[in-house]
Amino acid sequence: MAGTVEKRATYCYQCVAGPDLLTVKTIDGVATEVEPNFGAACVHPGGGKICVKAYGLVQKLYNPNRVLSPMKRTNPAKGRNQDPGFVPISWEEALETITRKLRAIRTAGLLDASGYPKVAASFGGGGTPQSYMGTFPAFLAAWGPMDMGFGSGQGVKCYHSEHLYGEFWHRAFTVSADTPLCDYNISCGANIEASGGVVGVWRHANARERGMKRVQVEPHLSVTGACSAEWVPIKPKTDPAFLFALIHVLLHDAARERLDVQFLMQRTNSPYLVGANGYYLRDPANRAPLLAGALEVRERREAVEIGPDGDVLAQGSLEGETAFSKLVAHVQPYSPDWAQTICDVPAATIRRIANEYLQHAQVGATTVIDGKTMRFRPVAVTLGKTVTNGWGGFECCWARTVLATLVGALETPGGTLGTTVRLNRPLSERLKSVKPGPDGFMAYPLNPTDREHWSPNPNIRNAYRTMVPLAADGPWSQALGPTHFSWMFLDETPHGLPRVTLPEVWFVYRTNPAVSFWDTDKLGERMARFPFVVAFAYTRDETNHYADILLPDATDLESLQLIRIGGSKYIEQFWEHEGFALRQPVVEPQGEARDFTDIASELALRTGLTEKYIASINRGAACVPLKTDRWDFTLDPSHAHSRDRIWDAVCRAASAELTEGAEAQGLEWWKANGLRTRPFPRTDWYLAPTLEAQGLRFELPYQERLARVGKELGRRLHEHDMNWWDAQLSEYQALPAWKDFPKLWEDSLRESGGQPESFPYWLITSRSMQYAWGGNVGMQIIKEVADNIAGHRGVILNAGTAARLGVENDDWVEIATPKASVRARAVLREGIRPDTLLLLGQFDHWATPFARDFGMPSMNKLVPMSLALTDATGSGADVVRVRLSKAEAP
Amino acid sequence: MSFGPRPWQQRHWDWRAAANFVFGGAGVGLIVAITIAWQDSPATRAMMLGGAALVGLGLTGVWLEIGRPLRALHVYFNPRTSWMSREALASLPLLGCALLAALTGAFAWALGAALSALAFLYCQGRILQGSKGIPAWREPWVTPLIFTTGLAEGAGLYLAASVWIADVAPAALTLLSALALARVLVWRGYRSRVARHCDRRALAPLDAAGGTLWWAGTVLPLAALIFAQLAASAAAPLATDFAAPLAALAGLAALGAGWLVKFTLVTRASFNQGFSLPVLPVRGTRS
Amino acid sequence: MTRWAMVADLRRCVGCQTCTAACKHANATPPGVQWRRVLDMEVGEYPNVKRAFVPVGCMHCDDPPCMHVCPSTATKKRADGMVTIDYDLCIGCGYCAVACPYQARYKTDRASFAYGKAMDDEQARFDAGRVAVATKCTFCADRIDAGLEKGLKPGVDPDATPACVNSCIAHALHFGDVEDPASNISNLLAENRHFRMHEELGTGPRFYYLWDKVRS
Repeated sequence: MAGTVEKRATYCYQCVAGPDLLTVKTIDGVATEVEPNFGAACVHPGGGKICVKAYGLVQKLYNPNRVLSPMKRTNPAKGRNQDPGFVPISWEEALETITRKLRAIRTAGLLDASGYPKVAASFGGGGTPQSYMGTFPAFLAAWGPMDMGFGSGQGVKCYHSEHLYGEFWHRAFTVSADTPLCDYNISCGANIEASGGVVGVWRHANARERGMKRVQVEPHLSVTGACSAEWVPIKPKTDPAFLFALIHVLLHDAARERLDVQFLMQRTNSPYLVGANGYYLRDPANRAPLLAGALEVRERREAVEIGPDGDVLAQGSLEGETAFSKLVAHVQPYSPDWAQTICDVPAATIRRIANEYLQHAQVGATTVIDGKTMRFRPVAVTLGKTVTNGWGGFECCWARTVLATLVGALETPGGTLGTTVRLNRPLSERLKSVKPGPDGFMAYPLNPTDREHWSPNPNIRNAYRTMVPLAADGPWSQALGPTHFSWMFLDETPHGLPRVTLPEVWFVYRTNPAVSFWDTDKLGERMARFPFVVAFAYTRDETNHYADILLPDATDLESLQLIRIGGSKYIEQFWEHEGFALRQPVVEPQGEARDFTDIASELALRTGLTEKYIASINRGAACVPLKTDRWDFTLDPSHAHSRDRIWDAVCRAASAELTEGAEAQGLEWWKANGLRTRPFPRTDWYLAPTLEAQGLRFELPYQERLARVGKELGRRLHEHDMNWWDAQLSEYQALPAWKDFPKLWEDSLRESGGQPESFPYWLITSRSMQYAWGGNVGMQIIKEVADNIAGHRGVILNAGTAARLGVENDDWVEIATPKASVRARAVLREGIRPDTLLLLGQFDHWATPFARDFGMPSMNKLVPMSLALTDATGSGADVVRVRLSKAEAP
Repeated sequence: MSFGPRPWQQRHWDWRAAANFVFGGAGVGLIVAITIAWQDSPATRAMMLGGAALVGLGLTGVWLEIGRPLRALHVYFNPRTSWMSREALASLPLLGCALLAALTGAFAWALGAALSALAFLYCQGRILQGSKGIPAWREPWVTPLIFTTGLAEGAGLYLAASVWIADVAPAALTLLSALALARVLVWRGYRSRVARHCDRRALAPLDAAGGTLWWAGTVLPLAALIFAQLAASAAAPLATDFAAPLAALAGLAALGAGWLVKFTLVTRASFNQGFSLPVLPVRGTRS
Repeated sequence: MTRWAMVADLRRCVGCQTCTAACKHANATPPGVQWRRVLDMEVGEYPNVKRAFVPVGCMHCDDPPCMHVCPSTATKKRADGMVTIDYDLCIGCGYCAVACPYQARYKTDRASFAYGKAMDDEQARFDAGRVAVATKCTFCADRIDAGLEKGLKPGVDPDATPACVNSCIAHALHFGDVEDPASNISNLLAENRHFRMHEELGTGPRFYYLWDKVRS
């Protein structure tokens, strides 16, 4: 082929399992192909490969359905059935319209009468939009209070309990097996082959070849189940019972010495003495917890037992038993025989899996990593999305972490690891976030529950600081509160909270809550009431259908940004290198699309925030601080800077950071080279040595602190006559008990007018690797290749169930709750429980060009937003009881 | 578009390709039948032309099917291994001789046309048989099936035309009956063998067409033969009145049944074999 | 004598379709044409059911039926085993497509594009010569030939390796010279148990599927 051929290095971070490092080929200035950046293979833990989603980027660039000029709405009436009447306008008009509103807000005050920020912003999940929004975070920081709690799926579509409890227990915003060394992985619904990205797939394929046995426990045979040694088709939402039974086998069937008794004694709260009221017995002098000399003893000591709010519950000569003893007694009823009636998994299977887990744990073994001898425990339990959010999520996360704890497999080679932190600080620096906290455990920035500091007046509408102590209060916390509350409470704010108001300005970027959240019809109705919505728009979609202004930002291959890569990040991203990668314009922006940094700089300028904005960049809002005690690339905050000037400074700071100040290559170097790294020690994958170095213990298995926090939160709420969170308060337990979790969904069904026998199927969802996170539903190539995988064109149901209903492949069926229904083509498979239906991904688009013609529904329309189905962390699970019947084509 | 792994209906050859087998087969069958019963007459010459026209019509179908019609002559490039090239080559003497026979009335040209026609028909069978991707086609009995049905269709057409032009030619009726009988026997052989390899969704339309082949394509000609015998022996005067229309009907039915079978074979029973695994991959450990 | 072949490790493949997309990219195939694709197969009945992902495409057979039936001689076989199509000779009769037991051949009768009208990248790469003729996986022959000219090793050096293999995120796809006993794929075939698709048809496919380790 004739023409000038060039290849430019860039990255793809469309999903949390990224970034992937790639090159883009251009011929005479036209982008034609993407390829893995083969030069990155030596540093990238996934062989330098790139995910299927990256192959959609060229189409994304040239898609004729793009919004390529700013647009304004001409029809003031908003609604799904209203034509917005978007007409093109100039950037000048668009920016002036927006900043006029913003300036007025700054003049009148940033908070409204309820105390909520007048400006709100929603971004797509997992923080991926931050890798595309240039310096916009610096603008957000310069602005001041902003509500980023209008969720687009966060909380109900994420690993919510894992995020919160994971960070609490072992700095694990996400949890992973140490796949390269793990020999036995019990995976309860963790769809790692679809959600683990390139690195996850690469590492697990290596592990399989090495002989790792993965047991996939889930209601349908996902792609991960397909690639596992064994599939255990469990009844939906009964995973806690399964996991409790595994613990039961370890504690009641296996000899005690097969557990890692030394680890339990030295590195956990197992030997802590617990008093009659369930709190630690403490030294009366310094209030430090009292420890027993053995794992399972009752001891009488001179002690004090402190309850919530510092209440002294008992003092004097008190008898206590170890936390471990309490655990043993607690799980005694949860035998495999008990669990089989709940999970529909034979007791013998549960027992066998528990014993295989124990057998593979190699208790007592050690290995050497980077010259350091460490415990070697090649077993892990991993959990999927619907297992770790909503009711039962806490129980599963606790059970999983306890299973690791019992054999010493927590944060050690081969075992269960956290990958990154998002709630603790410093952000993303996992080991540095370990600091001594109370009672010999790590510190954790719980939101206050004491009388003095707790407030019934939240800083944002989803009330995370008021309701969810574990959500902490960092930059990510807003998205980790009960993000559906912002939507739910718009109509009816529960007693005690300030009335939830509409934000005066709402920014939306790389997110589509009108499709990706729950109860989407109602959500759309609420969205239609937002007075002024600014959507950074790639194409028209279901959310920007309600927008007032559309702004075309330069997309992945058109814009400029430097990000950090390497270290340990999301999911399975464990690197042996760390550094930076540049995303650079491969072609000129199409139409009038503008680089996000230019947009942010312009907004700052027009709102008089340039000084704060540049100062924020100098502090590190654009990836890396520009000044340390050894180098200074700071930008003059007195005036605005061009995009390239800003990123040149960032690039220089990044170069300096990587070379300890020896080098300072700027933007041009990074454009030519694309990435640069330095070694990241593998020992830093494991948290245990850091705890051990600080003399700290893992706060497991006993949850005294959380139980106390729960009690305090309950008191605060009740003091303000707020009784609507009582069910959630029951989650704060020192040792979680089994509750009939499936019944919660049946009760919810009854409340909405249905009977379980009339709605006998569990509708669940599963991740589509080809689409998840990507915002790529309008890409023809993605649709084409994704359709090769079952479930992308209809609802998956068991072939036997279908035969009983007289349903054949490709027949149309109706899936209904008492309140709503959708229609889908039937996809008959054997790999799904007869009582379960599966709707892959999140489709049901009605405005997005191309995708609106799929004829593929989503469960999101059927799942209600419900307080009753919200757990204590503020999350809900993607599951709903439905009816199924043959139907006419829509 | 998503295919497999279960067998699915091939979409490369549609009614246009089927037309070659349908019209081409009948056309060459007609030429063979005319030649067997050769008596130079305008009607015979017209029928010879008709046979050639049918072959031409079939080839036109193929021409319409191919993606690059202007390169049609490339079809002759591979007689060494391709039955399609060979069929195309056979069509040249076939059409040439048929035209000359029609022009001159000479039996020699007719014989040449008939021999070419037989070669052409055999090639048609082998074309299908060579299609390894389609279990219903690659079965070796497909060649005798295509061969016998082409001849039977031609005989049927010849019989119907004879009735229209003159009267029932008992020899034509006998020929048709014999060919129809041979055809149905071949069909049974084909059907029993093809069941071992074919998807049930391919067998269902084949069986429907097979029923027609049996009743309309076989029983009816045989019944017509019996009627004709009865009429000839004058044992049943009433039969005399019905013998001619019945024979014509039998001829057309034999023709139609053959066409139906071939059309079905090409467009509805042509499921590929999909994909299958002799063993399953071991995922980590055997369990 | 060199004999190029593909190896797919079914233990590793996760059905992600990255190879499918990479092939479409590298070869600029139109919508619906997938020279490389991955099947999603189920075997057994609930609850004893297994699911497997199986990459397929042209198997570059030793005895390719597509070549034998081709009336125009457009389909040929190179000395190194690659089955090729001369787009200038092909008449688009589709005979090869029905002759192929692997459904590896495609024919698009008219130019087609992702969104109807050709985008810039589609326009830049559009090849009218591939319209209305048979197309299929080439084993990225151009890339391999160019790589060999540069002294690179196919299956090892990315610039001499088929796009699907380069893209595979599970390291399930491999390419190499099956006649070279020291090649990457010869080693894989020696160390692992394998089969070929529809072996009984006698086409001699040069696409091997690994399914287990060789057990002593």
